Amino acid sequence: MEIRGSSESPPDTKKSKSKTPRKSKDDQLLKQKSPAEFFADNKNIAGFDNPGKCLYTTVRELVENALDSAESISELPVIEITIEEIGRSKFNSMIGLADHERVDAELYDDFETAKAREKRLAKEARLQEIQAKNAALGKKAKAPTSMKSIKSREASYYRVTCKDNGRGMPHDDIPNMFGRVLSGTKYGLKQTRGKFGLGAKMALIWSKMSTGLPIEILSSMKGQNYSSFCRLDIDINKNIPHIHVHEKRENEEKWHGAEIQIVIEGNWTTYRSKILHYMRQMAVITPYAQFLFKFLSESPDKNVTVRFARRTDVMPPAPLETKYHPSAVDLLLIKRLIAETSKQNLMQFLQHEFVNVGKSYAERLIGEMGPDFGPKMPVKSLTSQQIVRIHQLFRQAKFDDPSGDCLSPAGEYNLRLGIIKELHPDMVATYSGSAQVFEGHPFIVEAGLSLGGKDVKQGLNIFRFANRIPLLFEQGADVVTRTAVKRINWNSYKINQTQDKIGVFVSIVSTKIPFKGTGKEYIGDDISEIASAVKTAIQQCCVQLKSKIVKRIQAREQQERKRSLNKYIPNATGAIYEILKEMSRSHASKKRRSEDKDAELLKKVSDQIVTEETLREKLAQHVEQVDYEMALEYATQTGVNEEPREDIYIPPLQAEYNFTEFHSPVFVFRLVH
Amino acid sequence: MADKKKRRRAATDSDSESDPLQFKSKLKPDSTILQTLKALKSSAATSSAAKPVTLSDLNLPTACREVSDLPLTSVQSSIESVVLSLAHSILSGNGFSFSVPSRAGANQLYVPELDRIVLKDKSSARPFANVSSVRKATITTRILQLIHQLCLKNIHVTKRDLFYTDVKLFQDQSHSDAILDDVSCILGCTRSSLNVVAAEKGVVVGRLIFSDNGDMIDCTKMGIGGKAIPPNIDRVGDMQSDALFILLVEKDAAYMRLAEDRFYNRFPCIIVTAKGQPDVATRLFLRKMKMELKLPVLALVDSDPYGLKILSVYGCGSKNMSYDSANLTTPDIKWLGVRPSDLDKYKIPEQCRLPMTEQDIKTGKDLLEEDFVKKNSGWVEELNLMVKSKQKAEIQALSSFGFQYLTEVYLPLKLQQKDWL
Repeated sequence: MEIRGSSESPPDTKKSKSKTPRKSKDDQLLKQKSPAEFFADNKNIAGFDNPGKCLYTTVRELVENALDSAESISELPVIEITIEEIGRSKFNSMIGLADHERVDAELYDDFETAKAREKRLAKEARLQEIQAKNAALGKKAKAPTSMKSIKSREASYYRVTCKDNGRGMPHDDIPNMFGRVLSGTKYGLKQTRGKFGLGAKMALIWSKMSTGLPIEILSSMKGQNYSSFCRLDIDINKNIPHIHVHEKRENEEKWHGAEIQIVIEGNWTTYRSKILHYMRQMAVITPYAQFLFKFLSESPDKNVTVRFARRTDVMPPAPLETKYHPSAVDLLLIKRLIAETSKQNLMQFLQHEFVNVGKSYAERLIGEMGPDFGPKMPVKSLTSQQIVRIHQLFRQAKFDDPSGDCLSPAGEYNLRLGIIKELHPDMVATYSGSAQVFEGHPFIVEAGLSLGGKDVKQGLNIFRFANRIPLLFEQGADVVTRTAVKRINWNSYKINQTQDKIGVFVSIVSTKIPFKGTGKEYIGDDISEIASAVKTAIQQCCVQLKSKIVKRIQAREQQERKRSLNKYIPNATGAIYEILKEMSRSHASKKRRSEDKDAELLKKVSDQIVTEETLREKLAQHVEQVDYEMALEYATQTGVNEEPREDIYIPPLQAEYNFTEFHSPVFVFRLVH
Repeated sequence: MADKKKRRRAATDSDSESDPLQFKSKLKPDSTILQTLKALKSSAATSSAAKPVTLSDLNLPTACREVSDLPLTSVQSSIESVVLSLAHSILSGNGFSFSVPSRAGANQLYVPELDRIVLKDKSSARPFANVSSVRKATITTRILQLIHQLCLKNIHVTKRDLFYTDVKLFQDQSHSDAILDDVSCILGCTRSSLNVVAAEKGVVVGRLIFSDNGDMIDCTKMGIGGKAIPPNIDRVGDMQSDALFILLVEKDAAYMRLAEDRFYNRFPCIIVTAKGQPDVATRLFLRKMKMELKLPVLALVDSDPYGLKILSVYGCGSKNMSYDSANLTTPDIKWLGVRPSDLDKYKIPEQCRLPMTEQDIKTGKDLLEEDFVKKNSGWVEELNLMVKSKQKAEIQALSSFGFQYLTEVYLPLKLQQKDWL
């Protein structure tokens, strides 16, 4: 397990928001900031903007870590997440603080002065009067306008618990994994959910800032006969863990995984829908996982329990760690690769540390670098100037595009299942694009499109995923939203953009997602490669749906054909009969010679043998016949009427068998004894 | 011709630094201008004296459809024969179906020899027993019946009247109007011979005397508003005029200015406008004037793609009514102004020019592809200039030099310089 991020401060710290220079003397002192301090000051970078968002981000980071952990050992994820509301008095007792009654009421911000109360009462009285009047007039009584929450800005606290069945953590690594910012297992070039090793630590920093309570971790790895329990918090100034308890406990039921418990300040009321949306979308993109989400409140009527059931056993393969593409590296990165490489000479270095550089290509590259370079020269002896030359050449030379093999898209199957499972749409189409390249990083765009369904509002509903995590914020500027709203001509696919319930799902996976802004919330619309790939993917789904929609329209027409044809019979026959009548009248008076057949018809009309009724009947008969023929034709074309089928998923019985596992990054081999 | 134009341009360019109003000083006495106009008139008279080519003379490889004016009785009898065949078809249990000539763009053909659009002979079936055409088929029978009534009673109604006879079925006047054109095509007669007319739209003023339903009308004595062009061309006859040319104006505002300034008294002419896109009556009237009086027609339209489009409708016909283009088009209309090249030539100030929108530019480029524009190299040049400069201007832009600049300087100078295309 690779752990980086020593005590030396990262370059970011120096760039951190330099405060307006004060005139005081101690400003002259050169100060050092630990990464933990930096992120505590700028917690919005990691999505901890306000208490509500903090609660959301905490849930999100814990869930994503849990998923990664379970997937890394090819275990179907089972994740339980619980948010428990903690009232102030309970919180105080937790931290051992006695409850205080307010003595000086006027000291508090929510104190209502006599004047303010008068005003409020008068307003309420007026409101009641109006309501009474309305009621007397028989008007629909409007729900009383919600009073401005008299509750002040009093903080509310939540205990967030996340339990998974993942890999667990080695006993000795636990303190560093939680108590040191910018240390992590997810560095390196690989498609991962998290990236910076920040998530759980930021939650811890936030809990330290808002409640001061430590984090509790219970973890056990497979095959361990004990479980590790750790209670710790973080020393923000030094960026090191501060351990309260670190002990081994018994693990009787052979559980493996991790359970993390943290108490933070939050805001459930405003972020309730966001958190639920997040869980739902997560369930869409990971239908092979089982989620149990619980919200426990002090008043039981507010409790929420949602279970997102597993619908498939098929997991996407774990993403592979890959090497850099020459066009995606910068100077610093080349230097780092040189420092870390185990290869001796330049030739081997080029060949083994980069993708798409073969032996002959490496030779050609070295030849092109100039006379100073040779294939056998030791790579560690390269001067800075020489490294710049290599970098320049990497920028200018042509390389094959990196392949998408290292990526792990959700897969059409899983995406489709997820959509069907969570939305129950009338129609669904999915499409998986081939790997494409943006600045040396491969990416794959997958799209799903659904029509109808439950809990879907009319118009476009956009679901965005990046590296298989849902994106919920900054929807307006996102490439997917822009594409779906502006660049797709829905009408041409017989989809009504405002009336139909359209679900647009786009999942982008890449070794590097080009997020915009600090809190990884959206992908910019300025990258033409991604924009066009998104457009193609959505269009492909539209094309698939179009034929289905056309069929449905035809079926509807089929049912209504007779009715809509019969509706016009009286009008048409009336008009024709009127003319015939006029003709027969003038025919009779003028005795005009016309053709025999016509004369006969006119005579019949004047003799009332052919009346409007006759015409009407004959036309109705014809409509009947045509309708029958077309129905027959329709039936032969479409085949037997298909009843909508409901997909069912039968989970396997938990067979009790012993096996040995052989792990590889791509697969797990199970030898059943 | 091109040479001359260049020289003229060079001449105007040379004194470009001077005050735009000094264009006035370039004007020669009216008598000189009248001389040039007289020459124009006589040349127009001789050119139109030649027997006009008809469609049947050409032996085109594709068959074309044209309609003709039919007397009421033959309209009636053709309706009756159509209806009889419908009735037979219904009684024999086959429902009924119309064969309607297609008026879609693919069925249109520009014939350069005739200088107008004609309709090819493709037609489509409109069966009753089909969900997509049942409504149209029903409306068609209904319109046939209404026209039959008009024939029996020998009266004229407007399109609006027709619509109101069965609002519930027609739903929207555009539906009944479109079917009315279809019926003309089916019966092979002009829309006027169906006795259905549109409301009056066009107006005429100037040196013209004609009879409207027997009453003699003198268009010099119709006040400033002029005489409304009768919707029914059959009523118009006995045209007399001492005008030297016909001035076709796109817009009401410019027409007003010309009429109020009695432009037709200074330069004997007839001024006509249809206030935007021309209706059938105005086009018929213009054609009748041109044919009977043998006068040259000069057009004053906006310097934008729509101005040229309106010009083309007068000249070559609209696609919607191409089946009757023989009666509706007026050949040999000259584009007098306001042309894109005039903007610089007459130093129209920047604030009076408008930038063209995306849509404008697209329309302009589409027009460049149209045959009736391509045949006139001068028009192509002007249109290219417009699309390139991305600027348009309305006739009213000339008012920036004074409201009467149009009548007192611009038009006389244009006429004096024979600056038409």
